[in-house]
Amino acid sequence: MNTQPFTTRPSEHAVTVTRVADGQWHALDDDLVVGRGHALHRPDGRLFVSIDAWHDTPFDRLAEAMQVALPAPLYTVVDEADTELTARWLRAGFTVRRREAEFAVPTDPRLTGLGEVLPPPGVTIVPAGEADEGLLRAVDRAIREEVEAGPGWQSMPAEVIPFPEGDTVVDPSKYAVAAAPDGYLGLIRVVTVIRPRIGLLAVRSGAQRRGVARALLAHALGALHRAGYAEAWAEVQETNRAASALFESVGARPASSNLELVR
Amino acid sequence: MTKDKNVIEVEGRVVECLRSAMFTVELENGHQVLAHISGKIRKHYIKIMLEDRVLVELPPYDLSRGRIVFRYRN
Repeated sequence: MNTQPFTTRPSEHAVTVTRVADGQWHALDDDLVVGRGHALHRPDGRLFVSIDAWHDTPFDRLAEAMQVALPAPLYTVVDEADTELTARWLRAGFTVRRREAEFAVPTDPRLTGLGEVLPPPGVTIVPAGEADEGLLRAVDRAIREEVEAGPGWQSMPAEVIPFPEGDTVVDPSKYAVAAAPDGYLGLIRVVTVIRPRIGLLAVRSGAQRRGVARALLAHALGALHRAGYAEAWAEVQETNRAASALFESVGARPASSNLELVR
Repeated sequence: MTKDKNVIEVEGRVVECLRSAMFTVELENGHQVLAHISGKIRKHYIKIMLEDRVLVELPPYDLSRGRIVFRYRN
């Protein structure tokens, strides 16, 4: 393969943008695709966009066309270290809405110090796959309502994946829960696709600061360690000091950070 | 009619994770390219790491660069 770079670039004035399908745009130069834009509705209602283009001109044309065609606000996610892409979005009028740190979390109890951690009195940890589905959905709903009444669910870093008819618990088998005699107090969701990712760790407001989240984390990381995984991944919003402190206290290291931009 | 044939897609393996959100990917033919992650992958929070098998899109005018558009499960 010839890896010598050619000098050919899209000509600045020839780039045109075409909407090729619902949520998809192509930037064309001389009838060739030189950039692609994509829009995706998340289940929480927000509209996320992305643009892949090798050069500034197709990127700018796509950003312009998509902003005209789509209702504001529009969101996008960039790696903070990708200064070129970030600059392109800022040039398109987007601003930084929030910053999210990505942690690599060790699972070995000798590193986490969680080997001896037990849940608070009266609380038991129910392993993933064994939780009562009705109670699980109830605690998930209750926590989301509490968050919505406070900082707002949209401001939280929890992964939002497609779910049917407003039900946020897609796969109950992925959740371990903290159980009290009168119901569940908290939950942790770990999904493993190649490597484990802690997508959600949450405790009801009335049960916080009792060590429930720590016990859930100890349980989940212990299970991963026994399954042979050395690390898990988690994203934490920069302003969520309690969550950052929890992960840092178990030896998690910041690996990168994402910016959520909005216009 | 629009064509998308000016894009070359090649399978490769991530051999280095660099700062600035870039990766060195070794292609099937042994060549290495400097690649970043596509916007769609980032939107879906797909994590790319060392040794991952990926599909890389190359621009025809600069075969030293690339964009990771897919991560294989194994």
